[in-house]
Amino acid sequence: MTDVLLRQRSEDPVAPRDVVRRSARRTRNWAALVWVAPAFGMYALFVLYPMLQSIQYSFYDWDGIGPAKPAGLDNWKAIFTQPELLHSVEHAFILIVFYSVLPVGLGLVAAALIRELRPGAFSTTARVMLFIPQVLPLVAAGIAWTWMYSSDGLVNQVLRAVGLERHTRAWLGDFTFALPAVGVIGVWVMLGFCTVLLLAGIGKIEPELYEAARLDGAGRVHEFLAVTLPGLRRELVVCTTFTVIAALASFDVIQISTQGGPGYQTMVPGVEIYRLTFLQQHVGQASALAVFLAALVLVIIWPIQRLGRER
Amino acid sequence: MRSLNLYRTAVGAVAALLLAACAPGGNSEAGPAPSKPVSTGVGSEPATLRLLVNSGVDVPFYTALGELFHAKYGNVTVKVDNQDYATLTTNVAHILAGSTAPDIVRVSQLGNLIEDHLLTNLDPYAKAYGWDKWPQSQFASTRVGPDGKQRGTGSLYAVGPGFGLTGVYYNKALAQRIGMSRPPATAAEFDELLGKAKNAGLQPIMINGKDGGSVYPLQNLVMSSAAAAQAVQDWNYAKPGATINTPATVNGATVLQRWGRSGYLPADVNDIDQTRAPREFLDGNGVFFPSGNWQAPGLDKSGAGKFGFFLFPPGQAGGPSYAMTAAANLGIAAKSSHADVAAAFLDFIQTNIQARQDTVTLGGLVPAGPADAPPPTAAAGSAVAATVGAFQELLKSNGLVGFMADATASIHVNSLIPQTQLLLAGKTTPAAYAAKVQSDYERDLRR
Repeated sequence: MTDVLLRQRSEDPVAPRDVVRRSARRTRNWAALVWVAPAFGMYALFVLYPMLQSIQYSFYDWDGIGPAKPAGLDNWKAIFTQPELLHSVEHAFILIVFYSVLPVGLGLVAAALIRELRPGAFSTTARVMLFIPQVLPLVAAGIAWTWMYSSDGLVNQVLRAVGLERHTRAWLGDFTFALPAVGVIGVWVMLGFCTVLLLAGIGKIEPELYEAARLDGAGRVHEFLAVTLPGLRRELVVCTTFTVIAALASFDVIQISTQGGPGYQTMVPGVEIYRLTFLQQHVGQASALAVFLAALVLVIIWPIQRLGRER
Repeated sequence: MRSLNLYRTAVGAVAALLLAACAPGGNSEAGPAPSKPVSTGVGSEPATLRLLVNSGVDVPFYTALGELFHAKYGNVTVKVDNQDYATLTTNVAHILAGSTAPDIVRVSQLGNLIEDHLLTNLDPYAKAYGWDKWPQSQFASTRVGPDGKQRGTGSLYAVGPGFGLTGVYYNKALAQRIGMSRPPATAAEFDELLGKAKNAGLQPIMINGKDGGSVYPLQNLVMSSAAAAQAVQDWNYAKPGATINTPATVNGATVLQRWGRSGYLPADVNDIDQTRAPREFLDGNGVFFPSGNWQAPGLDKSGAGKFGFFLFPPGQAGGPSYAMTAAANLGIAAKSSHADVAAAFLDFIQTNIQARQDTVTLGGLVPAGPADAPPPTAAAGSAVAATVGAFQELLKSNGLVGFMADATASIHVNSLIPQTQLLLAGKTTPAAYAAKVQSDYERDLRR
């Protein structure tokens, strides 16, 4: 978008002769607006209006049905003073490591390795296996992992089988390990998405670049750093953006596997917003937290997007 | 420049919206509608009564009740729709406020339904049908005061076919091994039995701490302190000034924490959910299983005669027993156009002999109703029979107390479950536990 704007502006340097052309463009713009209107109307009605409504609700004490009482900034203050709400936001940030940092990092490694494989049954199998978690509904993933993590589930069976009996535990019921355990589910889900996207990106890098790097005597690591990584800038930005949003807005996996427990150990804003709205009927408080979460996502996504746009 | 303008426009728009727009929500300051004269007849016009209940066991149960009703009143057809528990609980207000509200709806929690005038006041029907002559403790939990919040007082808004009831199941064979010849007479005696079970290498208690089963014994321990049951009931009903931050709660929490530490509760208690706990108990993992009568049909089916049931023992020998109870409540939508027919149905399911039998066998609940109504039958020695017997006793002695979990809409998931998990993990103290639950409660009630 900015690119377009910049280009328009650079073409603009006012030449006196094109007053006529200018007015012509004005008319064209109005025509364009007419074409955009239906889509914009829908967008305004179903996206912008509800967003503004949420902002409005966040200043009220409202149960969703009856009359609303103005609440000033109370709902906003609560986000920063109620330890449970604040902790849920902290947990969302910890989840970024699992939903974003690890999958993108591992995805890069996996994609670089798969690139080296000759196309064939093995490389296809590897891709499919990595991508399958992305196809499963998150609810199904949550249930399956809950079984695997239970006291006599697969994870503990494996630990017992290799003689690590004393490290077995009820992973999702353990105060220290519940959040990382939920995070691992995120790694599992997100890894496939990142790998496939990055593989597609690698496919677009011109083979000559790799050849040139080889001729210059670059080893694998060098080649990766000098060719693959810079070539994947856009894909990395998409991956990171998508996974960071998934981390901050996570809901399904937590709601299914731990419901925020044990204690408040895995509570995240998504689950908190759901409960505030539907269980507690504190629509105002829920809206405040939702708006805060949306703003947080934007603030974090913005630098990532900038990073991708440079050059 | 351009972005600044955009920014100004956006801020302007938001500000205008916030200032100019009226507050969200309907205008329901008008107060309840004046009560219309009611009739106890169902008339002769053909009518369809629409019921909205929870998915699962509710569906065949209420369908059967509907067929019984239709058999008696040929002009009335009962149509049963269902939504799963969580969906219905979260959407019930919007469903009742909508234009296609059902006539009768299963209400698990009254929440703001009364404040927002979404349910019909049943007082005129209670009078017309004589429900006001029945034991009144069965209606306490669905009476709501004029403030729309305090329960246990004021007008009646829902009634139902029967009640859930909690107590302690025991594995008869394992109980014999630790020398338990009769149910414990006091909480202290129960404590001793747990120690014996532990020494015998058995798992004393099986319980689900992941989704709140561990709150049951806690509430029972609290209520075993002298006079604490009334305080808990007041708290449940949001009586002004009620508090749970009491020595009784601190004592109860201390005992439960000690049980956890002594290995009386499963080591992974916080990871056991309500589907796993009964399965483990059926498999012989656990001498005792504190839970409710909804488990009885399942236990009888899988191990007839192997499991017994007793009410949680009182603090003092011979003292009153208490159990947590919750009614399966049905309310009549304020928008229903067949309120009289709906009320006739509610009276029918509480009094008809076959309906009361279905309540036990299909609903897994114990019916209440008039004091002189014959109790339904159940196989002697079965867990179901034990729960039905215990309920009749408690109904007479006023020993039925609501679940702390139902005190506010979110106290269970937001406070009792996580705080009890912290308590059992030794990450909070009994005193902090009691204080935190109380402060969350006050916040929920906006006090």
